[in-house]
Amino acid sequence: MSYLEYNVKYVPSGLRKLLYVNWPIVMLITAVASFGFLMLYSVAGGDASAWMAPQMKRFGVGMVLMLIVAMVPIWFWRNMAALAYVISLALLVAVEFVGSTGMGAQRWIDLGFIRLQPSELMKIGMVMFLAAYYDWLPVKKASHPFWVLLPLVFIALPTMLVLTQPDLGTALLLVIGGGTVMFLAGVHWAYFGTVIAGGASAVYAVLQSRGTDWQLLKDYQFRRIDTFLDPANDPLGAGYHITQAKIALGSGGWTGRGFMQGTQSRLNFLPEKQTDFIFTSLAEEFGFVGAITLLVLYALIIFFCIASAMTNKDRFASLLTLGVAMTFFLYFAVNMAMVMGLAPVVGVPLPLVSYGGSAMLVLLLGFGLMQSAHVHKPR
Amino acid sequence: MIRRPLRPLARILKARERGENPDSIARENLRLRHEEMRDKARNRAEGRLLVLGMTFFLAFSMIGARMGALANMPAQEPRSTASGSPIIGQRADITDRNGRLLATNFETYALYAQPPQMIDPARAAHELVAIFPELNEERLLRDFTGERRFLWVRRQISPEQMQAVHDIGDPGLLFGPREMRLYPNGSLAAHILGGASYGREGVDSAEVIGVAGVERQFDAFLRDPANEGAPLELSIDLTVQAAMEQVLHGGMVMMNAKGATAIIMDVHTGEILAMASLPDFDPNSRPAVLTTGDQSDSPLFNRAVQGVYELGSVFKVFAVAQAIELGLANAQTMVDTRGPMTWGRFRIRDFRNYGAALSATDIIVKSSNIGTARLALMVGIDRQRAFLERLGFLAPTTVEMVEAPTGAPLLPRQWSEISLMTISYGHGLSVSPLHLAAGYASLLNGGTRVQPTLLRQDGPQNGERIVSEEVSATMRAMLRQVVTRGTASFAEVAGYEVGGKTGTADKPRPTGGYYPDKVIATFAGVFPTSAPRYVIIVTLDEPVETSGAEPRRTAGWTAVPVAAEMIRRTAPLLGLRPVIETSDLAGVTLTSN
Repeated sequence: MSYLEYNVKYVPSGLRKLLYVNWPIVMLITAVASFGFLMLYSVAGGDASAWMAPQMKRFGVGMVLMLIVAMVPIWFWRNMAALAYVISLALLVAVEFVGSTGMGAQRWIDLGFIRLQPSELMKIGMVMFLAAYYDWLPVKKASHPFWVLLPLVFIALPTMLVLTQPDLGTALLLVIGGGTVMFLAGVHWAYFGTVIAGGASAVYAVLQSRGTDWQLLKDYQFRRIDTFLDPANDPLGAGYHITQAKIALGSGGWTGRGFMQGTQSRLNFLPEKQTDFIFTSLAEEFGFVGAITLLVLYALIIFFCIASAMTNKDRFASLLTLGVAMTFFLYFAVNMAMVMGLAPVVGVPLPLVSYGGSAMLVLLLGFGLMQSAHVHKPR
Repeated sequence: MIRRPLRPLARILKARERGENPDSIARENLRLRHEEMRDKARNRAEGRLLVLGMTFFLAFSMIGARMGALANMPAQEPRSTASGSPIIGQRADITDRNGRLLATNFETYALYAQPPQMIDPARAAHELVAIFPELNEERLLRDFTGERRFLWVRRQISPEQMQAVHDIGDPGLLFGPREMRLYPNGSLAAHILGGASYGREGVDSAEVIGVAGVERQFDAFLRDPANEGAPLELSIDLTVQAAMEQVLHGGMVMMNAKGATAIIMDVHTGEILAMASLPDFDPNSRPAVLTTGDQSDSPLFNRAVQGVYELGSVFKVFAVAQAIELGLANAQTMVDTRGPMTWGRFRIRDFRNYGAALSATDIIVKSSNIGTARLALMVGIDRQRAFLERLGFLAPTTVEMVEAPTGAPLLPRQWSEISLMTISYGHGLSVSPLHLAAGYASLLNGGTRVQPTLLRQDGPQNGERIVSEEVSATMRAMLRQVVTRGTASFAEVAGYEVGGKTGTADKPRPTGGYYPDKVIATFAGVFPTSAPRYVIIVTLDEPVETSGAEPRRTAGWTAVPVAAEMIRRTAPLLGLRPVIETSDLAGVTLTSN
């Protein structure tokens, strides 16, 4: 149990637990996923079997999994946190090892019904582990340099492994997700200030070093930065996605071209139209109204997560809930920013909408944990 | 920090007095302490949560605002290539003086391959060879399956070929737009236009650069986007150019010449209305530059501008005109023409013996070397040199072609008295036919200098005065008589008052001396002589006219008939009306007498 002794007056048990599930979140998740089904149907040109049906199947499996996870008491998950982290880390190493012995560039493990990317699993595993760590650590020690260094190592290990794959997007999500848990656990401001200032000055130094004898990046890396800042520089190269996505968004206008009427994605101008760039199709077909609706749905999910965390007295439970919310938010924000040209193309799917099993399954697992925290919170 | 004591002695003692269990006090205090701690932690956590919530809110607002901004953007049609500016600043057209196209641009495509994206390289290579038979299938297949990530297959393809390649359907075969320079008239005015080629080349566009002629000369102007597509207007008249080239080609073949060149120039404005050099080429596919032998044998060689020749007797008019201008002689002055004339080691001969003396007019009409040389001796070295310099014979022409500076005149190493005499009848000084055209125009237009130009002019040049109007008229009258009763009788074209001078110059050997049977035959004419409008120069390289008993090479038999046909064909195109000539009154016999 927690270091705090709180008066647990009532914890639901048995099938009663179903009544205490955070149903608004379940409905919001279903609504977002349904948006995804529509779009997958549309970008396949009206073919349900291409992407929509498998996606629905996976969503169904994921929802069941979520509810099962939700039924298991949160204290069990807290005890499993370290194990989850270690398993995820082991899988990451395993994939690295298997990959290096001739499996090509595949970064997943085939579970039969689904191919799981350990890096996705790691996102949840790390949030769990850090939440448990800060639950275990006395609050007073949270800002002690040694006890700050430890979680930094926990974050750095999987990040390094993911970076070698290389998968910049996932690495970024891991760092920010872990950092958020540390921030919420009450680590002193100064640490974050130092990291942010250090990062900013590093970026500044790198940019300033361009053209000098001691420049820190290779020329082609600088060109990538240029392309990000101005995609028109390289419209057929790296800037292509961004330019086309912007065109799609622009051509959607306020109300969109209508369902199944999108040209940009239908005419195959866009790569990854069913995965990372599905939002452009959505924006083109449903316009600003559709896009902002999706935005509101996402915002509501996060709002309900925060609300649940705030009413939860258990430190592990609230940290885990917020960590999951943050992970979900990061998926969404990085994808959006990437699609709309606010961030470089890093390959992060739009959560619950993009075609693909790993991210969806991991997110639903995360929401399962969040639901478990919600169901088993002391009342 | 003051911590709440768990077991405050005062309270415990009081509780003991009342008989209560003091542990309950400790439990209660422990709970209170925990609650305090929890509240503190909660306060801090709520602060952090607030920051997080703000971050979320900001992020959502930013994304929402960006969406709104993008949705508000004017709708853009989707494009398959987001190549930005299709081709940077189209090259301007080139037109003739009446706006007819001489050079324009054509949108075409280049075919390139990206082997890593190819589905079936073997089939693609096979089908490509079917479309472009000049490609080598084995080599293509090697390129497609090798390490290369990019290769050009063809630089320019036709729309039909493009469609055919499209039908192969291989995603690794791609097209890049190309601006192609097109000369719709083929070889017409080839040397003037020059040609264009690709400079820097990319997938999306290629830079078109002029390589010769006006394309090169005006490259900066043609590429300047500030002109907003305004064409470059040349002085050329396309119809005159076409007629002239046709006649010149026929004449070159008939006279068995190895090369020919002709120029028609406006005497007042210096505008070149037509200029041709044979053999020529098609600027749409310029031949390669000769790597061996004499560059002047290449079709790329512009005889009119780059070729410098000793042009012979056509130069006599300058010596006679200067003598008259200086008051040393007049048209009737008799000049000693007894030959051969000996000067040191040199002997000057005439084509045939013209007797003891000829009038200045007859020196021109009969083309007497001796008479011209004697007039030149009266003029003197310095004055001759200055006169020729004013006429532009001592420097390259200033015509607007990159090739112009290469047509530098060949001057005698030492301008001796022998040079003075030989130059007076056109030997010892090599100039281009264009020099000659400008010189004739300057001398015969009323006596003011004109510079040759390829750009359309708005009015006469009114340059430096060379000779007086009277002398200019006298010279025209003399040239008219060359046609009516002299060496250029074939040049008579009824109604156009053609005047002109023949020149047959032996070709110098590269080793020194002259070939006995190789000549440069030139006719330099002006028409109409009463009110001069145009100068015409026709030069044939090594002509032989073989219809007679023995081969004839003189200009009167070779260049003159070609020039006459040229005038006959082009004068109407130039807007000249045939006039009924006013002949000398002396020849008129009144029937009433």
